[in-house]
Order: sequence, then structure tokens, then C-alpha cells
Amino acid sequence: MNRLAWRSFDWVLLLTMLALTGLGIAMIYSGYESLYTEPGPLWDNTVFRQAFFAAVGLVLYLIVALIDYRVWRGLSRWLYLGVLVVLGVVRVLGRTEFGATSWLSGGLFGVQPSELAKVVITLVLARQLGLDREDLESPAPFLLSILLLIPPVALIYLQPDFGTALIVVLLWIGMVFLSGVRWRHLLVLPIVGAIVAPLIWFRLEDYMRDRVLMFVLPGYDPSGASFNIRQALISIGSGGWLGKGFRQGTQSQLEFLRVRHTDFIFSVLAEELGFLGASLTVLAFAILVLRLLRIARLARDDYGRLIAAGVATMILSQTVINLGMNANLLPVTGLPLPLVSYGGSSLISTYIALGLAQSVILRRTDPEAALL
Amino acid sequence: MNDASTRLRFTLFRLLAIAAFVVIGARLWELQIVSSDQYLESADANRFRLLPTDAPRGIIYDRYGRMLVRNVASFTVSVVPGGLPQDAAERQRVLSRVGELLQMQVGSRPQIAEEATGSDPAAADTTSIEGILALRYNGPYNPVRIATDVDRQAALILEEEHPELPGVLVETEPIRHYLEGALTAHILGYVGQIPASELDSYLADAEQAYASDDMVGLSGVEYTQERVLRGVPGQKHIEVDVYQREVAVLASSEPEAGSNLILTLDVELQRYVEEALSKGMRAAGSEVGVAIAMDPRTGEVLSMVSLPSYDNNLFSGGISYSDFARLNTDPNHPLLNHAVGGQYPPGSTFKLVSATAVLEDQIVDRSTMLYCGGTLWLPNKYAPDDRSLDQPFYCWHRSGHGALNIVGALLQSCDIYFYQAVGGFEDLVGLTYTRLAEYAAEFGFGQRTGIELTGEATGLVPDDRWKRQNYGENWVTGDTYNAAIGQGYILATPLQVVSMCSTVANGGTVLRPQVVYQVTDSEGRVLQGYMPVVSRQLDTDPEDLALVRRGMREAVQYGTAWGAQIANLSVAGKTGSAEYAAWDEEGNLIVDEFGYMPTHAWFTCFAPYEDPEIALVIFLEGGGEGSQTAVPVAADILKHYFGLDGTSERPATVTAP
Repeated sequence: MNRLAWRSFDWVLLLTMLALTGLGIAMIYSGYESLYTEPGPLWDNTVFRQAFFAAVGLVLYLIVALIDYRVWRGLSRWLYLGVLVVLGVVRVLGRTEFGATSWLSGGLFGVQPSELAKVVITLVLARQLGLDREDLESPAPFLLSILLLIPPVALIYLQPDFGTALIVVLLWIGMVFLSGVRWRHLLVLPIVGAIVAPLIWFRLEDYMRDRVLMFVLPGYDPSGASFNIRQALISIGSGGWLGKGFRQGTQSQLEFLRVRHTDFIFSVLAEELGFLGASLTVLAFAILVLRLLRIARLARDDYGRLIAAGVATMILSQTVINLGMNANLLPVTGLPLPLVSYGGSSLISTYIALGLAQSVILRRTDPEAALL
Repeated sequence: MNDASTRLRFTLFRLLAIAAFVVIGARLWELQIVSSDQYLESADANRFRLLPTDAPRGIIYDRYGRMLVRNVASFTVSVVPGGLPQDAAERQRVLSRVGELLQMQVGSRPQIAEEATGSDPAAADTTSIEGILALRYNGPYNPVRIATDVDRQAALILEEEHPELPGVLVETEPIRHYLEGALTAHILGYVGQIPASELDSYLADAEQAYASDDMVGLSGVEYTQERVLRGVPGQKHIEVDVYQREVAVLASSEPEAGSNLILTLDVELQRYVEEALSKGMRAAGSEVGVAIAMDPRTGEVLSMVSLPSYDNNLFSGGISYSDFARLNTDPNHPLLNHAVGGQYPPGSTFKLVSATAVLEDQIVDRSTMLYCGGTLWLPNKYAPDDRSLDQPFYCWHRSGHGALNIVGALLQSCDIYFYQAVGGFEDLVGLTYTRLAEYAAEFGFGQRTGIELTGEATGLVPDDRWKRQNYGENWVTGDTYNAAIGQGYILATPLQVVSMCSTVANGGTVLRPQVVYQVTDSEGRVLQGYMPVVSRQLDTDPEDLALVRRGMREAVQYGTAWGAQIANLSVAGKTGSAEYAAWDEEGNLIVDEFGYMPTHAWFTCFAPYEDPEIALVIFLEGGGEGSQTAVPVAADILKHYFGLDGTSERPATVTAP
């Protein structure tokens, strides 16, 4: 381990991650512990659970950072098969919550394997796309990556978890783009998109289509679902410069805003901490993504570079989709805000993903370049 | 990173990421800085509610301070659809618990698809909770009222369990509880929501600040004294959560309670009168009856009973459709106060007007004798000499009364005396109908008395033009004859008859009958005392009215009203048996074996004769002879009123016989 470039350890990445996690726990406390919450066993306490998940995540983060990321390269095939098996098991035995069968029960807590699947797929795609320049001249690896992608995406989509499936596809697009696949090959993307989009549109569940139409057509609201979108805007907007104060948000505390501790936690934050808190949060995410891109730039090999690029894509797309939904810039998709929203699987998966990136930067070849 | 293309791609990606975050930042700027005020306003609109707080409506007492109506808390249970658990099993648990406590079926949740395609409003389920929720759904956060006037115990349990019952709201609202129900329903009336047709005029009344779901008096004293009883609503500025539950009170102004009313009514007398009247109605086979007792010196209505009545508590908290339909379609119209709204031929009671008129116009004097042979043959107007064309007018006493003076005519209730005196006969120039109608109007017939009750009718004192318009015929002497004895076209309400009796009793003052004795504030201070209202002072010779009273007194002593003779009490009265036209189911005029039409039984009287303190009217629809059916009811009431039946605690007023 003496080859580890400890000087390269990305403290900014770690501290930003911890800061966002802490902010998340605070906002979960504010949003979830409402007027009507009754005291229960500690294990049922949402704030405690999130802190516990963060602790577990931090341990895994350090372990993953210490393990040489190149280990995963050789295990790629098994990781891929493992993901398919677990997603298949979910399909057969899974627990249904909020209309989607995406949970595996595991005693005190359930696991959402699709969250972990995102990380594994990042590794698999990094292996598939992280090739030499010459190999990329042929479209074969690129097309093979599509074939690799289809089974897990289909299984996730069928849960149905449209949001995560979308993230995996965006992850793939980001990694393909950054891997150096030829521009002419990339032209396939819009063509495939044009063919697949209508198919997806007509295969969408009614509520998903309503969400898109609701976003596109003002006043279209067959299910009354625009209520929460409107309440989210009111929450954010009424926050003003400095917000209404921690646990003082009228929209969140009086429960006008729903799903406060998960998908709409940013609205709670923006209401209670104001423009100042909200824009600092956005800045933290920007730092996170830019630090990840920096790691990609400094990685010693294409595999490492693509792992960091994949993690960056994953966090960027998930953050933008969630914030865009909160601010009504994008249609509603049930995606958590990474690190901030409540949810053990999401939090731990994100920690592992960031641990992988940390592992990459720890094994860079040229420590001096980091100073440049 | 040795590849220029890859370097470019990373740069592009970085720019894309930065651009995305900048867009989000800009959006935050727009929402939180530029439009912040507008959203803050929306957030406040979400949570602040300015609610009117109902002023306690005034309490109503009888003249001795016995409470007749009070306000009781009634519980309403509503469900906020969006507040119910989303999990189907949890939702079922919450609704089952509510259903269990309210004794309602939970029902099944209609499928959205079914609703859209096969919705049949007639098949709508309005009894189960899910049915009501589906039917009245108006957005996820608008509470749907599922039960009103909920049992107190159930409401308290629901309130206690509210942490386990998300989406369930329990609210209280005051409703009227009428302690005597049907006994005072026609006088007190009832309250209800403002009818849609009158909503605009109520809302236009800025001074009273009505809201569209306010309860207002709709009938009886509740309606006529609305302004007195209502009070001034207060305001409460509250903060609510999304389920519209009150979280905090920010500010409030106290409502000002409505003033209390003390009625002229004596509810114990009322109870006795009702019993006596219903006993008399059973004896007479009558389905509709009225009894009114009034103080002839002041116009205070001591008792007013109209049967059948209804329980006005049914209207508190909203009357059910079936109850209302039952009351509204009852052929005897229990919702109608027949005492003021029923219009009937007054029959011989009207002879008090005729007698006063003929004396006053000096058609007759105390000693003028007119002959009754049982039948009066009125010559044909166009062939006065052809006696074969004469039209017969009968006295009720077919064998005739012989020669009578005015007192005798009243005591015997002779019809032929009044035919002649009012309509004229042979050499006697009669009063004429025009003059009779003027006297009737003086006594208050053909117009409302102005009592503080709803549904008062005018009655009818027609003129010749009225007959031409309605019947296409001229007024003839026969019509005048009929009018002289309160038959024909003349119609009167029982209240007009007792008012007439009071006027005779008090020596010629037409007093407006009143039911409101005093208005007091919540501490019992009198805000408005009782003032008799003189509608008119008859310009009559006291001697003439004394003669009429004498006729009434003798009717009790020796004549038709002998049944009202009471030891130690001098009663004076006038009976009536008013013929009316009624038709059977096949449309044939109902007549008895002798060809007589059925009659309403009337009796109006006052006592004591020398110094009247009570005037009464008894009316029994289709009750036959007033002397046989109505008089005993009055006698019963008078005995009780003057404490002569040993049941009343009221000291007896002993008068000379």
C-alpha cells in the first residue's frame, strides 16, 4: 500500500460529501419530524436511520477507496451477472412500495438493488468502454455496450422504476461520450432515440405520461397531482434570501408539501434556508461533479478515468433531474437527491461510488500533476 | 488525457455541468428573489384562514322565564381525501374505525375507470363513506362532510384518536334545540341554511355580515326576530395545516351574543291548550284545529296552538329529505300555522261584526224586534212581484226564532235577524254590504294583523268588483245575506277572529296580537319592554259594544254557548258553524242526509265578562256544530286558566255571576 499516493486523497470530495450528508440529515429531521410524529423505537426513527446508513456508507467508502479499483476490472463479468441475478430475484420476490416492486426485504430494513446496480453498471461499462484508441475505431465495443445495457435497464424499467432506468441510460450516454467513442458512432444515439422514444411514450404508465403532460401543458391535471408541484414552488419561492429558519418552514411544517424527506427535500431546504442555503447546496453539488471530473482527468488509466466519469455523470444527472423537478424545470420523476434525500440504498450506493472515485485518485501516476 | 478529442469532450461535459447548475441557480434566483413576495403570499394563503366565529344565537323563553330553545353543540365529521393514508390497507383501517364509530358502512372505493365510463348518478351510493367521498370529492384537500349531528361520545373518541386517524376532521357547530318541540314549533319556527333564492339579499346586508353557509331563522319568531337573535359574529384568524386542522390562533375578536327573547306565551298554558284542543278534535273527528288565547287588554298572545304540528328539532342540523317530504305532503299541512295562515269562513262568529255595524249605523237599536220564521223568502230582483221566483234563505233553526232584538239574535245566533238587518228586507233598509265590509276592515278582517310570525294570511272580505272578476256575476242581496252571517265569500284566519273578540271585549280597541314580550341581553337586562300596539280605535258608541257583549254573555247563559257556563266565572262568547264546500274523491259535493254541507266548528269568547282578561278562539276544521264541539274545548281551557279545575296553581279570579 505504500504505492498509494496519500497526498492525492481528495479531501474536498470527502468533505463536500459529508457536508451534503449532514445537511440532508438536518433537513430530514425538519421535514419528517412533523407536528404529528409520535415517538417510536429508535430504529424506526428516520433521522437515526439516515445517520446509521451514513456511518455504514462511510465505512464502505473507506474500504472501497483502499481497494485498488483495478481489482473490479477482472471481476466485471461476475459483477454483471450478479446484478442481473439480483434484479431478477427482485422481480420475482420483491416487495412492492409506492407501486413499484423494487425492494428486497432484509430484516430491519429493505434494500433497493437498483441503486447498487447503478454503481456496478458503471464498473461494467468502464471495463467495456475503457479500451485503447484503436479499438474504438470499430463500432463493435460501442454496440456491445448497448447489448450489455439492455437487460439491467429493462429489469429496472419493468419494476417499474422509470427514474433509475433513465439514470442508467444517461450514465451510459455520459460514459460513451467521455470514452472517446467516435463522433460518427455517436450519431447512432439520436437515431436510436427517435425510434425508441415513441415506443417508450406509449409504454409509459398513465401516471408517468400525466407527469410529462402536466409539465408541458399548463392546467393539465387529471389526477390533482400538480398540487405538490405547486406547493414545492411556493415552498422554494417563499424562502426568500435567508429562508424562514430551520424547522420554521410553513409549507413543510404544516405539511402542505408532501414527500418532504425524500424527493422534495430540496424544497424544504430552500424554504427554510433560503436562497443562500439553496445556492450553497447547488454549489456543493457543482464542486462534487467538478472534483469527480478532475479525478477522471488525472486517472492513471482509461478504466479509472471512465469510473470517475461515470460517477460524475450519475451524480450530475440525478442532481439535475431532482433539482429540476423541485424547481419545476423538469417533469416529476421519483428520484432522490443524492446524499441529501432519505434512503439507505441510495446513500450507501452513492458513498460506494464516491469511494471508487477516491480509489482512482489515490492510485494516480503523477501526484505532482494534482497541483497543477 | 493525451487525446485532444477526449480533452474536448471533457471540456464540453464540464461546461454542460456548469451550465446545468447555473440554470438551476438562476431559477432559484427567480423563485426566491424576484418572485419571492408572490410565493410568500401563496404560502400565507395556504396557512391563514379568517374564520367567522358564530355568535351564540339568542335564547327564547316563555313569559315566566321557562326556556324554550337553547344552543347545543353538534359534531360534524369530515374527511380530507388527500390526508388519508395512501396505502390501501391503512386507508381501509382508518375508514373502518370511522365507520364503526359513526355506524356507517365504509363501502367500496369506486374505480376511477368505472367512474369515468359507467357512472350512473341515480346509483350513486350516498350512505357509505367511500360513496360520499367519491360523490362530493372536490380536490384532495377540501374536506368532505360525511356525517352531521354526530353522537357526542363518538365525536369525542374520534377527536381523541386523531393521531391514528389522519385525514379525519371533527368540528363542532352549535345547533338549536327546541325543548318543547312540536308544542311551540309554529311560534318559534326553525333555522336553516340561507335558501339559495334569498342568498343575495342576505349577503347584501353589510351590517349583519352574513356568510353563505350561515344558519338563519327560516320561520316563526326565529325568522321575524332574526336581527335580534343573531348577534354579531366574531372573527378568528387561524393557522391551519394542509388538512385544514387548526394549528394556532393568531388573533380573534369575540362574537357578541344575540339578544334573548321573552315571549308572551305561557308554555304551561300552551301545553294545557294543546291537550284540550286535541281532545276536542278527537271528539269532533277533526284533523285540523286551532286554539288561541290572547289578552284583550294588551294584545299579548298567551297561547297559540295549531294542530297538527311538527317537531322543529328536525330542522336543526339539516332536515332529511324523507322527513321534509313527509311533512310537506301531509294533507293536513303540519308545517302551516293554521292559526295565522288558515283561511276559513268565520261563520256566525262574524255576527259580532254585523251586530256592531247595524247598531252603530242605527239600522236597529236595542229594542228593534225582527221576526224570524225559519225561512226568509227573498223576492227575485227582476220579478219582485212573482213570489214563486223567491229565493229561500234559512235560519239554522228551521222552525224559527220568532221576534228577536239584537241581544236575542246574538244569544240565539239567529241568521234571519242579520239577513234582514244587514241585507234589508221588505220595508227595512239594511246596512248594505259596502258598510259591512268597511266595518269588517275596521275590525281587521281582510288584512294581516302584523303578528311577529310567518305565514300570516290576509283572509278575504271581497267587494262587488271582486265577485265580478272571479265569478263574472254581480253582487246580489243573497251575497250580502251570506256575508252577514260570515258565510259566502268571506274568509278569516282564527287570529283575526280572536282579535275581533278582543276588540269587542276591550271596548273597541283593535290591538295588534304580539308574541314577543321582551328583548333582554345575556345578563337579563331588558332592552325592549312590551308595548301594546293599537292598530285602530273603533269609533263606536260604547253602549253598542256593551250590547254586543251582553249578547255574547247571554249566549253563554241561555243560548248557543251554554256549554261554556262555568261556576264562579262569567264567560261571554259566540259560536259558529261555518258551512264549507268539500268534495269527495269522485268530485261530488259532500252533503249529509238532509242536504247540509259540512261545517267548521268555531267558538270565540272572553272572560270575565265584566273585566275581560282573556279572549279565546277555538277552531275545529270540519268539526260540526261549534256549540257542541268547540265550546267544551274553550270551557276546559278557561277553567284551567282561572284555576277552577283544581289543577292550576294560578289563583282563581272570582267574579260575580
